[in-house]
Amino acid sequence: MRRVGRGPGRRVLSLVAVTAAASVTLAACGGGSTSSGSSDGSKTLTIGMAVGGQPDVDWQKAQGDVARALAKQRGWNYIELSNNGDAPTATKNVDTFIQKKVDAVIEFNGQPSVNPVMAKKLAAAKIPTITYDIAQQGWYFVGIDNKAAGEAGGKALGEIAKSKWNCDVDLVLSAEGKAAGPVNEARTGGMRTGLKSVCPDIPSDKYVSFESNGQVSVAQPAARDALAAHPQAKKILVVGINDSGVVGALQAAEQLGRADQIIGWGQDGSLITGANVNPHLAGSVFYFLESYPTYTFEQILDKIAAGQAPPVKDTGEDPAVKIQPCPVSAAEAAKVPGTSERVAQLAKAPKGKTALDLFCPAQSG
Amino acid sequence: MTTTSLQAPPSGRPDGLLRARPDGWGTAVTVALAWLILIAASSLHSSDFFSHQTVLAVTFTMAITGVLAVGESLVALSGGILDLSLPTALVLPAYLTTVLLDHHVPTAAVVLLALLVGALWGALNATIIVFGKLNPIIVTLATNFAGLAALFLIFQAAQTPQASGIRQFGKGYFLGLPNIWWPMVVLIVVVGLLIPRTRYGRRMTAVGGNAGAAKARGISLPRTRYAVFIASGVCGGLAGLIFAASNASFTPNEGAAFLLPVLAAVILAGISLQGGRGNLLLLLLSVGFLSTVPTSLVFFGLNSDWQIVFQGLILIIAVSIDGHRQRSARA
Repeated sequence: MRRVGRGPGRRVLSLVAVTAAASVTLAACGGGSTSSGSSDGSKTLTIGMAVGGQPDVDWQKAQGDVARALAKQRGWNYIELSNNGDAPTATKNVDTFIQKKVDAVIEFNGQPSVNPVMAKKLAAAKIPTITYDIAQQGWYFVGIDNKAAGEAGGKALGEIAKSKWNCDVDLVLSAEGKAAGPVNEARTGGMRTGLKSVCPDIPSDKYVSFESNGQVSVAQPAARDALAAHPQAKKILVVGINDSGVVGALQAAEQLGRADQIIGWGQDGSLITGANVNPHLAGSVFYFLESYPTYTFEQILDKIAAGQAPPVKDTGEDPAVKIQPCPVSAAEAAKVPGTSERVAQLAKAPKGKTALDLFCPAQSG
Repeated sequence: MTTTSLQAPPSGRPDGLLRARPDGWGTAVTVALAWLILIAASSLHSSDFFSHQTVLAVTFTMAITGVLAVGESLVALSGGILDLSLPTALVLPAYLTTVLLDHHVPTAAVVLLALLVGALWGALNATIIVFGKLNPIIVTLATNFAGLAALFLIFQAAQTPQASGIRQFGKGYFLGLPNIWWPMVVLIVVVGLLIPRTRYGRRMTAVGGNAGAAKARGISLPRTRYAVFIASGVCGGLAGLIFAASNASFTPNEGAAFLLPVLAAVILAGISLQGGRGNLLLLLLSVGFLSTVPTSLVFFGLNSDWQIVFQGLILIIAVSIDGHRQRSARA
């Protein structure tokens, strides 16, 4: 016969003990500053920061690191939650921020379908909200000018094509990332526009798109097929939604023995620094995404703290803060520090200094 | 081509447990015909299709899918149905490869350690399946999630050193074909020939065909399960090496793209998901055919969305054929 008397009781006690231990551990590990008071007499804010939370995207964590440092500088309270790239989590995080009575929320939500619901809750709680790169009515929009970023990269690539081939180009590959929607259109479309501004006579049938999903391993086979379908092309350019998509195409050309026939210019700067830069990646465009909190604090939150909230500008066309891109050649990119170093420098940068001032070779010299 | 493989007996017929008979000719002819028709249609549509560039594009695509398909086939053949932890089994050794190369570990040691970590991954799956008496599909699905989550904690992006021997191997050619294609061919041929000709291979197939009867004949099911998953893990290790050799940069979630083509290749090769029947040599045809489809679609001017549609359709057709085979075998 089985004994049933004390077993469940012990299990319950064990469960309670484990839960208590886990709660204590989580509380110890949890973020949140408890500093108080502001030196300039403005209001001490409590900031709720919802980072994107995609584990393979280092700038999303870096945005939180910079925001935490900036809040600490100001003696503000800071609560950071992760959206985990998940819509229900993002919605739940908004409830938490409201319960914690934060004074402002910063959102990077990669699942914007729930943004209207979140916006309604935050509006009801009268909490001003800043959104990064994904516009939502009623939220301050802070974002990169993706079209300008694309055009800058395309123009730089066009200059290379002009000097090397006199714009006599056989094929222009475009590494798309359709899942990114308007961002993809702005970046890759912008690159084509920028290229055409220098080399206007490249026929439209020379432009061929392939899906890269923003990943090397997806871009590489797709670009291989696209190159195989154009065996006569000897002067090839590559533009794309990001460095990974462009590098995938460059590697595909290597695999087909056509490495010397191809030149690429990327976006986002993720593969233009370090020891393993593809020699055919001529340059990229940095956005310094980790620096968004710098603009947010200085141009929006400081004003809210001072009781002078700026007007809400909530569209990409008329944003609260439009961040300018930083195109760099491969040689210039060597001067740009890595993400962790940039985060460290941004955290201790004096007010008014942006990532462009600090890191963009064209501006920082 | 040798097409001898094991046909496990219907349940309750242990007397025929280790009986071998020719199998797979029908499947081989069907897939070969489909492949030839695809090549012919693409060549008629565009004369550029019939070129060395196309051969290179297809053979590069075949390499990793083919190696992973061998591991998956072993699991299917032994009645394990499916190993869904392939994405982690691929990326884990690939990441280890980049780390070791960064630390200037000799290439031979890198290769051995990548294969070893693949084997350990397979052993982990087998341990949970055997001692937990759990469904392999659920276990490998769970270990894949856990493994990917752990990989995300360790790294966001990995890069294979450009100057490393492994990276140079990944870019090179042998007899006009990619270096990375040859290990896949050798693996398929060797494993395909050994399975029906070795005691271990026959026992593995017998377990897949009728586990109860195999047990009655003294075949250890846990030992077989371990051997199969470790072998599958080693295939993952080899695929990871090839992946690192041919991808200069990757993130933890880039292994997921291989799962669908691998499953399609296994099923299309006629390897029964119920176990006990299949000829691994046919993977050369099924992987070749499936790797030609995306290239052909580009020549026809169809975009990548259509490629996924076609892959899905081919998988549905292959599963339907497999189901029909199962019903015919039972009848």
